[in-house]
Amino acid sequence: MWRRKRMLAELDEDIREHLAKETQDNIERGMTPQEARYAAVRKFGNVLRLKEEVRGVWYSRWLEQLGQDLRYGLRTLRKSPGFTVVAVLTLALGIGANTAIFSIVDTVLLRPLPFKDPSRLISVHEGLPKMGYPKMGFSHPDFVVFAREQKSFDALGSFQSKHVEITGRGEPERISVSRVSASLFPMLGVQPILGRSFAAEEDSPGHQLAILSYGTWQRRYGGDSSILGQTIQLDRQPYVVIGVMPRDFVFPPAGLDDIGSPADIWIPMATTSEELQDWGGSYFMSAVGRLRPAVTLEQERSETKLVSQGIIDSYPAAIAGFARKGDLSVTLSPFQDEVVGSVRPLLLVLMGAVALVLLIACANLATLLLSRAATRQREIAVRTALGASRFRLVRQMLTESFLLALGGGTLGFLLAFWARNLMLALVPSSIPLPSHVPLNSGIFAFAIGLSILAAILFGIIPAFQASAATMQSSLQESGRSATASRTHRRLQGFFATAEFALALVLLMGAGLLIRSFAKLLATNLGFRPENVLTVNIPLPRAAYSHAWQVENFYKQVLERVSNLPGVESASISNDLPLNGYEMVSITPEGSDDSQKQTPQAVCQSWLLGNYFQTMDIPLLEGRWFSLEDDLNSQQIAIVSLSAAKKFWPGQDAIGKRVRWGVNGPWDTVVGVVGEVNERSLNEPLVPHVYRPFSQVAGPFLEQDPFSDWHAMNLALRTKSDPAAMTSSVIAQAHALDPDLPVTKIRTMTQVISSSLAGPRFNTILLGSFAGVALFLATIGIYGVLAYTVAQQTHEIGIRMALGAQRHEVLQLVLYRGSRLALVGVGIGAIAAIILTRWMTTLLYGVSATDPATFAGVATLLVAVALAACCIPARRAMKVDPMVALRYE
Amino acid sequence: MSTKEERERIELLQGTLDLLILRTLLLGPRHGHAIAKAIEFNSDEVLQVEQGSLYPALHRLIKRRWIAVEEGVSENNRHAKFYQLTPKGRQQLELETRKWDKLAGAIARILRPAE
Repeated sequence: MWRRKRMLAELDEDIREHLAKETQDNIERGMTPQEARYAAVRKFGNVLRLKEEVRGVWYSRWLEQLGQDLRYGLRTLRKSPGFTVVAVLTLALGIGANTAIFSIVDTVLLRPLPFKDPSRLISVHEGLPKMGYPKMGFSHPDFVVFAREQKSFDALGSFQSKHVEITGRGEPERISVSRVSASLFPMLGVQPILGRSFAAEEDSPGHQLAILSYGTWQRRYGGDSSILGQTIQLDRQPYVVIGVMPRDFVFPPAGLDDIGSPADIWIPMATTSEELQDWGGSYFMSAVGRLRPAVTLEQERSETKLVSQGIIDSYPAAIAGFARKGDLSVTLSPFQDEVVGSVRPLLLVLMGAVALVLLIACANLATLLLSRAATRQREIAVRTALGASRFRLVRQMLTESFLLALGGGTLGFLLAFWARNLMLALVPSSIPLPSHVPLNSGIFAFAIGLSILAAILFGIIPAFQASAATMQSSLQESGRSATASRTHRRLQGFFATAEFALALVLLMGAGLLIRSFAKLLATNLGFRPENVLTVNIPLPRAAYSHAWQVENFYKQVLERVSNLPGVESASISNDLPLNGYEMVSITPEGSDDSQKQTPQAVCQSWLLGNYFQTMDIPLLEGRWFSLEDDLNSQQIAIVSLSAAKKFWPGQDAIGKRVRWGVNGPWDTVVGVVGEVNERSLNEPLVPHVYRPFSQVAGPFLEQDPFSDWHAMNLALRTKSDPAAMTSSVIAQAHALDPDLPVTKIRTMTQVISSSLAGPRFNTILLGSFAGVALFLATIGIYGVLAYTVAQQTHEIGIRMALGAQRHEVLQLVLYRGSRLALVGVGIGAIAAIILTRWMTTLLYGVSATDPATFAGVATLLVAVALAACCIPARRAMKVDPMVALRYE
Repeated sequence: MSTKEERERIELLQGTLDLLILRTLLLGPRHGHAIAKAIEFNSDEVLQVEQGSLYPALHRLIKRRWIAVEEGVSENNRHAKFYQLTPKGRQQLELETRKWDKLAGAIARILRPAE
């Protein structure tokens, strides 16, 4: 490198020396000094050119030119700051949004689960497809059979989560606990960072051991490693801590259809003997297996048919019929799919949406650049005359685009931090997004890559257009040629049309979501949520180990609260509308003895007090529960209308009987009530059976260690603002037992609102993108038309001078504008029909090709386009022919 | 900038000029002006080279390390740069000379088929 510098520096001198010598020689040949010098110089040739050639030998021409292009580009951009700022900001917004969404997609969808060889992990489910439950969990006895008979899994693990109260060191707290089989952690390939995992022999009743999550260990026990071997209390039962899991270990992963939160503590599955005999009772356990190395999912699927049969055969004869009738079968699906499956459609739709917004922004920039190209024609012409090749000019203009794009991309990456934080903060808990989404160098590379792509997209056509200026016309005084302008105009029209097409697709998506959401809002809930307050009062098992104790407490609380001023009615129940539910199987009595009695899956609720009156659920037939219904009176039930219709079609449900499981005692139906949404608004209604808690609260319930009858919900209908009653309610509960936590304090309106949180989030997000797209497209078409009118001022002047009326000119502009918009809408409509198909899972009650939405959105776009045309049209109208003709 | 034909013409000349320079230096180091004069002289004034085009050629050869540069004093006691052949350059000269002979021979055979 230093050699190069030295050679070049001395070149001047070398040339001078050479010339001097030649001159000398010439003098010796007999010329005069002047002639000699002149001859020498002429013989030497073009000094400038050879100097450049020498430079070209030493410097890579390409690199030097790139440097020139960059410097020139920066200078040009600095000269028009307004344009540069607008362009960079637009790109920053577009690229930033894409980067933020991509980072989330990368973390959620593209990264494998943090377990050993996660692609081999398969989720195993049972299902009763013929009974309408294609996918359930496992029941305990069935899982034992499955584990025994299957051949394709190397390892199997099971887990089941629930909430418990933790006491001992620290405040009482309600946490999530997951029972796990001893095989689970080894199968996942995770080791505790402190202590050990459960041994196989510890996975049986009587071993009360616990493994803490890292978060719980830090939060509750200050990261103190002496916690190992100490005892903690879960639901007032002692558990010995034997291990702590690593910091990033989350299980069950968010997004699984479990109880919805990862566990804070893990305990052994320790299946009880009662559970092992619970055929057909409950299917709530989740199972995951690791496929044997050589086996494919397909192979395993064909094997499961045999295993399913084996499970059915293991059922006692009384229930086997029901299992066969429901077509009890085992189903498999990749574990990863289950974890991300619920959020994948939303993320993909969002990626598509932001990509469309970026495309529209690029189209806008392209039209802007085309307009600029027109003003730079003189500059281009001069450079062409000086010898610039077309390729060089295109390259230089592309460099400008790259500069803009890289500036926008870097700024966009910074904006992505903010956008990601915003999105993660606003996302409702019903959408399982990870709490930590990194924006690392890989994501930065994506942002830069996207910038480069954008630069090519919006830069290449204007670059070619600009460099194609013909010398003659540009150097003439008029500075404009009809041909160049027409191509420019046509290109701009093309971009404007494209923008409209893309905007239509986005608006269509947003429109569908809005209609969906409106339909959700309008769903008949089956009850009246206004003025209802709900709280959950969990009772510690140790102090309330008998069912009558629980019943007693809740009865007292109920009475106290009912007597408060301002309370119209109150009730106690184990679940609430829209709050999730437990499905159990009951067997309805056949209408005549010949009809087989098949178990059905229903929601079952236990009630104390005036539940139906509090919720304002209509009684369609029969009567409510009353205080006389207790353990000693006739065992009764109330069913929902759908249950009545399903079990006894065409007959009166009153007087019919149902039994729990297949051999529980019979309960007589005394009333039929209206439907209530149990799960979430966009799922079908489930038959519901209600029982008085007083009739259920017996020894049978005490043997069930895992259902939540210790944490019932108190609901009260108030005369005015329900939230104002909160402190009185808490006071009443504490008057009976001062240490009780009163949790989940919400009004029913809030419950509904949070169940709508997911769809609301989707709608707002996509709606915002569509709004931005519409805004950009409007600016685009406005810009194109304004430019056209400005370019055609001369022409308009001529037309007017030749007799055209002002309104004819107006029509002309409006016609051009609406034609662009209509073509765009047409193309967009076709694209939308093809693309909205991917949104179907996000929609409720609306088809992806809903014609009403189409019509509405198309009309909106055309109207907006026409509005955008107004200003340029009026400007065209105002053209003074005299001025226009004189202006060249 | 040059058009495509111009560029081709220059390339042909470049290769040939390089060869001539290398040959001229075979007999010993020379300074730039002397090289130009030698080429003219040895070709019986047939090859009239634009003397300026010598310098890009020299720089090319220097870059490829086929010739080396040394400071020195010329005949009339003036400071000059002397260029001399490197071993690599010598090798290249042989190679190129053979190639040239082959080419010239082939063309000659076509133009004047053996009678």
